[in-house]
Amino acid sequence: MPVQGIRTVTAARNGVGAFILQCKRLDFHYCDWAGSSRGMVSFLKNSLASFAKANPQIEIRVSPRPHKHPVIKGHYINGREKAVCVRNLEPEQIVQKANLLKEASGEKNKRTKKPVTSINDSVRGIWSPFHGDTKTV
Amino acid sequence: MKRLQLQRWSSSVLSPRARTGGRLQQHLYYNLRRQSTVTPAAQAENEQLIDQQSSLLTTQTPGSPYSLPSPPVEAARESAKLAALHARLYLPTRLPLETLARCLVDSSADPNAKFNNESLSILGHDLLSHYTSEHLICTYPRLPLTVIFAAMYAYVGPKTLAAMTREWGVELAAVPGGEVDPGLLQFKRVVPGTDVNEEPAVATERPNEHRTSWRKSMTSRVVYDNEFGDPTEVKNIKGVPAEHASARFIRAVMGAIYLHAGRPAAKRFFEQHFLSRHLNISELFNFSQPARDLARLCARENFEPPVAKIISETGRKSRHPVFVVGIFSGQDKLGEGAGASLLEARSRAAVAALKGWYLYSPLNVRVPSAMEEEGAAPWKPVHVDLGEVIV
Amino acid sequence: MATYFTSIKRPLPSLPFLSPSSCEPIAWGARRHQSSYRRTKQRLRVKPDASFGTSSTNTYDHIIHNPPSSAPSVFQTPTKFLPVDDVRRTLRGSSTHVSTAEFSPVFETSGEKRYHLNASDVEEIRRLRLSDPMTWSRWKLAKRFDCSPMFIAMVCEASPQKKEIQKQVLEAVQSRWGAKRRMAREDRQLRKESWGRDP
Repeated sequence: MPVQGIRTVTAARNGVGAFILQCKRLDFHYCDWAGSSRGMVSFLKNSLASFAKANPQIEIRVSPRPHKHPVIKGHYINGREKAVCVRNLEPEQIVQKANLLKEASGEKNKRTKKPVTSINDSVRGIWSPFHGDTKTV
Repeated sequence: MKRLQLQRWSSSVLSPRARTGGRLQQHLYYNLRRQSTVTPAAQAENEQLIDQQSSLLTTQTPGSPYSLPSPPVEAARESAKLAALHARLYLPTRLPLETLARCLVDSSADPNAKFNNESLSILGHDLLSHYTSEHLICTYPRLPLTVIFAAMYAYVGPKTLAAMTREWGVELAAVPGGEVDPGLLQFKRVVPGTDVNEEPAVATERPNEHRTSWRKSMTSRVVYDNEFGDPTEVKNIKGVPAEHASARFIRAVMGAIYLHAGRPAAKRFFEQHFLSRHLNISELFNFSQPARDLARLCARENFEPPVAKIISETGRKSRHPVFVVGIFSGQDKLGEGAGASLLEARSRAAVAALKGWYLYSPLNVRVPSAMEEEGAAPWKPVHVDLGEVIV
Repeated sequence: MATYFTSIKRPLPSLPFLSPSSCEPIAWGARRHQSSYRRTKQRLRVKPDASFGTSSTNTYDHIIHNPPSSAPSVFQTPTKFLPVDDVRRTLRGSSTHVSTAEFSPVFETSGEKRYHLNASDVEEIRRLRLSDPMTWSRWKLAKRFDCSPMFIAMVCEASPQKKEIQKQVLEAVQSRWGAKRRMAREDRQLRKESWGRDP
């Protein structure tokens, strides 16, 4: 057989073509009694509905967690989760935290050294000492 | 953790006569476990409960969701997971949540064809293979058949579709059932202890199938085998791997979009989710004798016979020499390659030349399905090649 | 090495970062911090090549073609491989032609086919191979008839006894290989297979 095919799998490029929000679930935990949850309770009563309406991609769960500080937990498509404690925060600050969790990719924070990372081949190829115009043998 | 439901216990005690289903149904439901939120790791704890449960299952009332093999239709409107999945994929609003819920029910979970995704997945499968193959054949008209099969597998093969299911954030239900959240992918899992590496039972409609020593030519695969060049697998009743169930789910979504939102939406969905994925086609080739193939190609196309010439070299007498060899046909350079020996460099140059031939792509590619749009420009015939090199 | 340097197209003095004294008039010995950030940046500030930018003589629009110093991509089809009706064939013109005369061929023998053997020669080859397979190996027959061993293999096949003997000889040789040599041979074979696969 002259040539055979090698089986591989295509690599996803989120945002090229389709974009899929990486945050798939947000859990809101609050306490009815404790003072640190006051902002959280107010957020749940007043602005959670609009937040959920603005982000239909995210499944939202609200559950009490008595005698504990209020927490927002984000669950991500890559299987990781990210939790933010929102004790004593105002509702506006909690909205910010929820947005932070919504926009996160779920990956661990890491330093980005290059402005662009790509899996595409370089346009001018990989430099080779045997090509180009400065040398002929 | 398995939660014991006291009502169910008590109901079994109180109304022993309320049995549903005949012997067949009991047999069908015998091995099903009813729990939506258990993880596979927790299944071991469930094993001991099976016996108690199986006696329970036969005592349920017809109206309860526990008596159903898959979630009831009206549950789709109440599932947050399902609505989130619908919004996450930006599915058209004309595609109702109920259909999306049906896409998530595999035929191994619910054998009733009115409630599982089999019909949708067959339609989606045909659409996906059609769109992918026309894209490949029109963009690279000279690709050899084996590479087309490999590229089809890379774009819409079961492995890719399973990866897409994960990337869409679809979770798998541990066990299918009527009370399970409809936003989970439901299928009957393979029984533990099954040999997954075992050769699956395959069937083709080839004449002389029983003669195993006969050669199966590559062209016959177009006719008798599936779009990846594999013989079609016989349906396994005992349970399906997660990969197959995920692939069927994605195909069913494609089919559902086609049915509910129409052809343009399906085409757009295909371009956004499938074609946008990254595949380097030049890495799919595996040549065994490139220099011979190139000589045959040049003879077929009436080019001058290919001649390998050294373009540059370094360290011929050292431990790590590098030769850059180009293959020329007359005055034209067909390809070049570098290697640690002259033979290697020539072989790589021949590979580069052959890839240069096979990866030819015409300008302004149009696929036949582009003609289905309203007001499409008149069709111009695409480039059709003579075919791959036959040695 | 001398020929190497003379053939550099861009002359050496035009690379200012190679000559340290162009911007620093201090002598070598007095310089203490030779490699400061400022000096490095200053020396890397190379004037662009003359081919870039618009010169006063060329007022018309033109394309600057600066081929990359990298191996050519396989996605760029050679002009010879383009179909007759492809516009790129005329766009590229004859610019891709290279003078191949200066390159030395990889193999000494030319690839020209001579077709100098006739039917009687082929019969003779078959007869010799069958009569005494130990003497008349492929190599010897090729030498005698002035053709390639490949041609001998195409014309006739060794007898099964000869094949069996040859197999035993090979096994005897291989049985004396140690682990290192065997592994090296296997690795070599694997490397050879990867020639046709890698991009």
